[in-house]
Amino acid sequence: MFFLYNMERRVTLHPSYFGRNMKELVTTKLVQDVEGTCAGDYYIIVIMDAFDISEGRILPGTGLAEFTVGYRAVVWRPFKGETVDAVVASVNHQGFFANAGPLKLFVSAHLIPSEIKWDPNATPPQFTNNEDMVIEKSTQVRVKIIGIRSEVGEMWAIGSIKEDYLGCLQES
Amino acid sequence: MGIPGDGKLIEWRIREGATIEKDEACIVVEESCSHEVQFRGLCAICGKDMTEMDWSSEIPETSRATINMTHDNTGLTVSSNLAARVEHATQRRLLEQRKLSLVVDLDQTIIHACIEPTIGEWQSDPTNPNYESVKDVRSFQLDDDGPRGLAMGCSYYIKMRPGLAEFLESMADMYEMHVYTMGTRAYAKKIAEIIDPDQKYFGNRVISRDENGNIVSKNLKRLFPVSTDMVAIIDDRSDVWPRNRPNLVKVTPYDFFKGIGDINSSFLPKRQDILPSPPKAPNGDGSPPTTNNADATVNKEASALDDLVSMSSGQDKALQRQQAAEQERSLEKQIKERPLLHMQEELDKEDEVAHKAEDANDSTQLSSASSQARHHVLRDDDDELTHISRHLTNLHKEFYRSYDERKPTSKDDLSLVPDAGYILDELKGNVLRGCVIVLSGLVPLGIDVLQSELGLQIMGFGADLDTQISRRVTHLVISTQRPRTEKLRQAAKIPSIKIVNQYWLIDCLSQWKALDETPYLVSVHSSDRKRQLAAKPVEEPVSDADEDENGEGGTTLTIIDESNQGLAVDLEEEDDGDDENEASEDDEDHGDNKLIIDVDHVMPHQLEEGSTSPIDGLKTFDWEGADDELAEFLGSDASDFDEDEEDGEGGLDDEDEDQQGEDDKSAEPSSVPTPSSQSGVKRKAGSDGEKESQDESDAKRRRLTNGEASETTPAEDSLPSPRIRTARMTDRGRGLKQGSAIEEERRGSFEEDLEADLLAELEAQENG
Repeated sequence: MFFLYNMERRVTLHPSYFGRNMKELVTTKLVQDVEGTCAGDYYIIVIMDAFDISEGRILPGTGLAEFTVGYRAVVWRPFKGETVDAVVASVNHQGFFANAGPLKLFVSAHLIPSEIKWDPNATPPQFTNNEDMVIEKSTQVRVKIIGIRSEVGEMWAIGSIKEDYLGCLQES
Repeated sequence: MGIPGDGKLIEWRIREGATIEKDEACIVVEESCSHEVQFRGLCAICGKDMTEMDWSSEIPETSRATINMTHDNTGLTVSSNLAARVEHATQRRLLEQRKLSLVVDLDQTIIHACIEPTIGEWQSDPTNPNYESVKDVRSFQLDDDGPRGLAMGCSYYIKMRPGLAEFLESMADMYEMHVYTMGTRAYAKKIAEIIDPDQKYFGNRVISRDENGNIVSKNLKRLFPVSTDMVAIIDDRSDVWPRNRPNLVKVTPYDFFKGIGDINSSFLPKRQDILPSPPKAPNGDGSPPTTNNADATVNKEASALDDLVSMSSGQDKALQRQQAAEQERSLEKQIKERPLLHMQEELDKEDEVAHKAEDANDSTQLSSASSQARHHVLRDDDDELTHISRHLTNLHKEFYRSYDERKPTSKDDLSLVPDAGYILDELKGNVLRGCVIVLSGLVPLGIDVLQSELGLQIMGFGADLDTQISRRVTHLVISTQRPRTEKLRQAAKIPSIKIVNQYWLIDCLSQWKALDETPYLVSVHSSDRKRQLAAKPVEEPVSDADEDENGEGGTTLTIIDESNQGLAVDLEEEDDGDDENEASEDDEDHGDNKLIIDVDHVMPHQLEEGSTSPIDGLKTFDWEGADDELAEFLGSDASDFDEDEEDGEGGLDDEDEDQQGEDDKSAEPSSVPTPSSQSGVKRKAGSDGEKESQDESDAKRRRLTNGEASETTPAEDSLPSPRIRTARMTDRGRGLKQGSAIEEERRGSFEEDLEADLLAELEAQENG
């Protein structure tokens, strides 16, 4: 689910950038540092604005200036039970991997409807029910997240398509 | 007993009032999920986090699924039960399709890659002598995870091994193929796109070093955790498969871009099994090709680090970074130094010199006839894939023959599946059976021959490996780079030992055939030979008896000897023996080597295709004519000729005996006057050779000695020693015919000799 979220971050600036457009530079640096990263259990998608940039403080020893910046960002936190659209990245006999934006999903063969079977002889190998459903690389799928785990800077999820209205999106 | 998991309570094992004396199960729980498939610490079936530990957990749940068997992902693990089920399903499917699995290495096995920008330049320049060779080289750039620094964004040039498309096509019917490479994922993907654009052959079965989990070795267990019975491997390195040697079909490394080696090998231990490849690109002067030097320096540079690698398990991150840096450096070096460009320039220079001297030797003529006047570094004449294809076809046939013999009642009975590794061993084990081989100058000092790469391979092919020369030895394999060793001297005394160069071994191991040794026989240096002759009267009766014991008829005298008696025996008897061997082998190999049986066409026909033989010059030689003439000659006056020669040699022996310790270079002046007792034929041969090679070697010598020409003049006059020449000629030509091809062939070796002799002479003068 997407949220608008207020956050704070310390940004340091090299002395060579000290000057009139410092605020601008701080904002740029913030965007560079933060946008698109995974912060624990959510992803920072985009920064709306940096609304509060503090006075800079020179750090002793280095000469870098440190600013405390309050900013507002759109974040995405995937939840267990949430339904997301994803693109299949690779397929093997255990199931398939898909990417929902930055989130890596795995859908195991147990959580694929039993009529969609693994066909190792097809080129490329795929899951198919020999009708309209073909899951191969770069197929778009709708997946329900049933488990999430995060480590520093990365998240993974287990998905399922074994429910109504889940699975292949292309034919609909 | 086990971890209390989520699930339904089935049964209480304890009653109220019961006394619990020791650990025992108190409840039975039916688990709702067995967590058999896990992805990054998540159960892929129920979505539960497996890394969570609570008061009751004794073993982490993650240990329920530890086997990683997917090609393109490291995060996905399965339990051993499931792995076995999956694999058995795969085996049944393959049995139904009558296929096997084939694991294919990329670098130097089916392709050769380099990043030298010179290739791109050559490709766009049709006038370049290498244009023909490089025009079908494919290139790509790695954007994301390629090497950083100077090498970033460079083009990779990929040369496919000749016949690759046909090879894959034919193998696809018999094998399900997997790519297993030590390159990165992105690299492997790019290559797969090139060699298999439709994903027909490999599909997504590509595994790279990113997923391998170990950067120094490959393991079939990574892909086939339960059973490797139906798997074969083709790879140019056997040391990276420490656990799967039986399944490996070793391939001669494909070295198209000379001296580049394997661009992805900096993580691997230094390879031990390098045999210098046959000098395919003839340089003007027969000196060892520069490629070896370039190769050596690269290897040397990496060696210290590589030693570290081989000791560590490869898990150390710091070390890995260091190695990555190492790889970058070697890649940058390639871009900066452009070894290929230099090689070509050197060749061009040599060509110029050769043209000025106005005597193009045989090799120049050969190559210029086929292509351009300028030599080119890159040659496109590899035929290894045809051999590999044959081996794999045989393996497939044998496997299913033995499977069918066991009459499986149903496809489900996997216990009847034969082991491909065992079958491969059997196929290989018959190749050199009965041979007892001694290596000389091929395995570095300090390495146990029996443990060395080459040694293991030889033994894998059924031959016995020995470290000492003895009567039971049948072959001495020596390096052409170090042709005079103690072992050689010893072996020269025992006539039943065939002394061959390493190409015989290489070709045997590549073609899986005990090839006819004749084209590979090594001429024994005269000073080594001396002692043999002196000892001969004593040896001969013994060797005869010995041969009877061995029961290995047909190899009485196999080193072609100075005395023509020996030559005759060799020709007749050896061929007989080979007939038998070849005939029995034909049954297995299904034809295709009839030519070897043919006494008159001594060159095996495989060699003619690939021209891997170092004695290509002999191809055009009229052997039939030579044989006829020889037979006639031997029939007429073999006996008295022999006597003459023995006398002559005997006389010389006394002279030479003094200098035995040294090379006979210093003995040169004393041996110049040809003893008049020597046979007329021999004399003539010697002086003929002398005359013809004189002009050309003169030019050579001048180059070699620079300004010191005046000093060398006397040495030059006294240099040509008829004795040596005669020995060489009879050895090499195995006939006295003065055929033009032979003459040309001989020149190279004369030059080498002269060079060496001259240098020694100069040194002596300077010292004195």
